[in-house]
Amino acid sequence: MIVNKTNYKIANAHLTSRLKQTLVAILSVTFGISMYIFMNSFMTGVNDTQTGLAFSTLAHIRIYNDIPQDNTNLFADHIDENILVNIRNPKVIQYTEGIKNSEKILNLLDSVPEISGITPQLNINVFFRNGATKVNGMLSGIDVVNEDQLFGTAQYVVEGDWMDLNRRSDGILLGSGLAKKLSLHLNDNVVLTTEDGITKNYKVIGIVETTLASVDNSRAYIRIGFARQLISKNMGYVTDIQVNVKDYDRAVSIAQRIGKITPYKVEPWQEANGQLEAANKLRNIIAVAVSLTILIVAGFGIYNIMNMTVNEKIREIAILKAMGFDGKDIIQIFLTQSVIIGILGGVVGIILGYLVSVLVNHIPFKIASLETLPITYRTKDYIMAFVFGLITTFIAGYLPAKKASQVDPVEIIRG
Amino acid sequence: MENLALSVKNLNKYFHEPQTFHVLKDISFDIKKGEFLALTGKSGSGKSTLLYILSTMDTTYEGSLTINGLTLTGKAQNELAAFRNEHIGFVFQFHYLLPEFSALDNVMLPALKLEKKSSEEIEESAMGNLKLLGLEDQALKPANKLSGGQQQRVAIARALINEPTIIMGDEPTGNLDSKNTQIVFDIFRELAKERGQTIIAVTHDDDFAANCDRTLELMDGKLIHQ
Repeated sequence: MIVNKTNYKIANAHLTSRLKQTLVAILSVTFGISMYIFMNSFMTGVNDTQTGLAFSTLAHIRIYNDIPQDNTNLFADHIDENILVNIRNPKVIQYTEGIKNSEKILNLLDSVPEISGITPQLNINVFFRNGATKVNGMLSGIDVVNEDQLFGTAQYVVEGDWMDLNRRSDGILLGSGLAKKLSLHLNDNVVLTTEDGITKNYKVIGIVETTLASVDNSRAYIRIGFARQLISKNMGYVTDIQVNVKDYDRAVSIAQRIGKITPYKVEPWQEANGQLEAANKLRNIIAVAVSLTILIVAGFGIYNIMNMTVNEKIREIAILKAMGFDGKDIIQIFLTQSVIIGILGGVVGIILGYLVSVLVNHIPFKIASLETLPITYRTKDYIMAFVFGLITTFIAGYLPAKKASQVDPVEIIRG
Repeated sequence: MENLALSVKNLNKYFHEPQTFHVLKDISFDIKKGEFLALTGKSGSGKSTLLYILSTMDTTYEGSLTINGLTLTGKAQNELAAFRNEHIGFVFQFHYLLPEFSALDNVMLPALKLEKKSSEEIEESAMGNLKLLGLEDQALKPANKLSGGQQQRVAIARALINEPTIIMGDEPTGNLDSKNTQIVFDIFRELAKERGQTIIAVTHDDDFAANCDRTLELMDGKLIHQ
């Protein structure tokens, strides 16, 4: 919109002649926009923290060999439904477990540019035993370097050293809860029994504490090669391939693409952990709803003030129209005022929103891995706040301006 | 025809609120260029109504209105606004200046809207108009700091800025004392005589009317003297 200089001059005169009202209008926009920024930064901060925590054990995409589908009626595809079939106690005689030749898939994944990290895992259910104590748990055979790169597991090692896994073939890292249940300390021995009855002795070379109870209470780590030996599998056998992508929000589409080129199940995190995504989305909805409500309230404030101005200046509007200013000029005059209010309020609101966010980001909040309340600073939020602020003021200013443009000068001048 | 500033044919006007009322009854007349004309009549006779139709602001009438040879009946509001801006100057009973603007800015406003001259030229001619009305030393004062007589003269200076063919006044001296009335009257007379501008003024003031070139008198919506 190109504003005529004269119209701008009149708009400016209106604004400066009622500084107090103008200031209140600007403040209402400022408040709306800063709250929008703060709410969204805070919610994004919470979401990021939540996902960050979740991704300390969860990969963005998991590739594994899904157990075969429902095989209770093996004739289903071959015999039509008019024939009665009675099958008792069906058994699957043989199916392939895990991923036999992982090299092929790993090479394939290496060529996908969106992928930021890959690690193979061999997860098996085992019994941990120390004397009479017997605990069921999960043994993860892992690639020491890649595992740490994906999940940062090394930083959760509270005793011992993550890298020792590469050095000792009988070394095992235990989750802190698991170690406690088994009354084990560093350098103690633990006995492992697999489902197939194989038993082996390991030395505890480290304790891991991720703050996620489900992991700490049941998980143990050894090097993937030794895990293969334990269950007598060949090189290249894995149960899971964990993949991280650069943008985890795009995991679904990337998983779909990978799924087309491998025979295995490719599962994005959203599928495996629906509640995580649902919580993120719900928080975003709350943030947007609350902040838009505040902006709309600010819009009503501007609408009110502009309406008052129009009523106050109705004689001036009449004379301007008598002198030859047309409806478009009058709309421009009043719309300019609200747009100026919107821009000023927007700029101040962005600064205030940033300051409030910084302030909140310094409020101590020592729960789980948090130190202070989380805030994520995103340029997008600031741009959106400004744009929404402008749209609100534009609409709130347009209605009174339209009304002003429809003033009948004869009616006003004749009184 | 070229000599005619304004021409009205078979003008009829009705008010519909609160009930239908025939305000102006079949009015026709012509006004020559440079005429100084008074529109008189008792209150309720329809003279102001007639003036607002002539001003092009009121468009709900029957009949036709021609100014400067251009028929304005049936034109769109925005076209009429542009026409008023260039060809008609207004002086009302109340001055209607923009209070935040200085006298000079108020005078410049219609010319800035017209955008036919640079703002320097406009400022110069606005100063000239203020000088003509004896207000050059008040030019930079805000309009709301001027006295009533001064404000009305600023309003006249504003009406003159685009050198309109017709200046219309709705009781232009209604709020002024006799001294200021005389000043305003003299200005109008001079404008009609020296610049050839047509002046149409609604007035209650018999002296004012008596000194005009011509008087149109209305009674109950009919033209009884022209």
